[in-house]
Amino acid sequence: MSDPLKQLKNSMKKTVFKDFSFSEDRRNVVKESIQSNQLRSDSILYWDDKTLYSILCSIRTGPKHGYEISTLLFQKNNHVFQHKEGQLYALLHTLENKGIIASSWHEVHSDTKKYYSLTKKGRIFIRAVEKQSSRFISLKKLLQEASI
Amino acid sequence: MYEWQETEDSMEMIHDKEERLDQLMTSYSQGILQLVYTYVKNHTTAEDLTQEIFIKCYEKMDQYKGRASLRTWLYRVAINHCKDYLRSWHHRKVTIHDKLFEYLPSKDKQLESLIVEKSRDEILSESVLNLPIKYREIIYLYYFEELTLDEISKTTLVNLNTVKTRLTRAKELLKKSLKEVINDE
Repeated sequence: MSDPLKQLKNSMKKTVFKDFSFSEDRRNVVKESIQSNQLRSDSILYWDDKTLYSILCSIRTGPKHGYEISTLLFQKNNHVFQHKEGQLYALLHTLENKGIIASSWHEVHSDTKKYYSLTKKGRIFIRAVEKQSSRFISLKKLLQEASI
Repeated sequence: MYEWQETEDSMEMIHDKEERLDQLMTSYSQGILQLVYTYVKNHTTAEDLTQEIFIKCYEKMDQYKGRASLRTWLYRVAINHCKDYLRSWHHRKVTIHDKLFEYLPSKDKQLESLIVEKSRDEILSESVLNLPIKYREIIYLYYFEELTLDEISKTTLVNLNTVKTRLTRAKELLKKSLKEVINDE
């Protein structure tokens, strides 16, 4: 007697799987949700290359605290964080999680502040972007992909 | 140790990460949707979970190192997601509550089952879907997906010998519920 289970594929296709498919609409929901996940302000993709580059450059010469970084950006005419400094701290946090920058607490004039500095990995990223300036290379994409 | 080479590799990967997701959905969404259905046995839930699975795959894409075949990896992500769902609070509270209503005897239903004679195909599908999960998944992967025992072991992360034992046991269980179908032949 033949194995009735050989019919399983056909049987299921004719019954429970009949007219059952992953629609175009469902696929679009997947794509949209991926895009919206990336557009949260603590996500690298939310920011443009110039801003990310400016932040990394601002701590290149030595550790700085958040307010100093935001002042330096402002002096460079980058106003993206104006009135939303919180977003800068969220981004710094993300960069720290990705191992691009590191932070440590220091007491200066009896005031304890968190100082951010570039890690070795962060320096490699900056240099990579500067070296490759002739061809298109996106710092944003590099950072986005950096493993945590 | 971080190397420049890695950066270049990962760059290429991002370029087509979204494209790759698109390809994955084209090639595997139907398979995953059906696989998920065999776990959750509800069409809408299967569609919802399949959406979540592809989002998960996108996030985990970098972790895929090509050690297993792409299908094995995807199916493993899907199976884990289904099992998490079946263990979840939402599923246990909401779905089981719904099921209680189904079991309440209704005259209409009794009549219905008398009148509507189930087709052979329905009986076969249903009896497989009614198996306990550990047997159901193996029967499904073996007969529907036509995976080898070795592939099943890699996909479900169940030891090969256990896969064999479960397949035998599953067939025994099915034999009982399918007796009528077989007798007809």
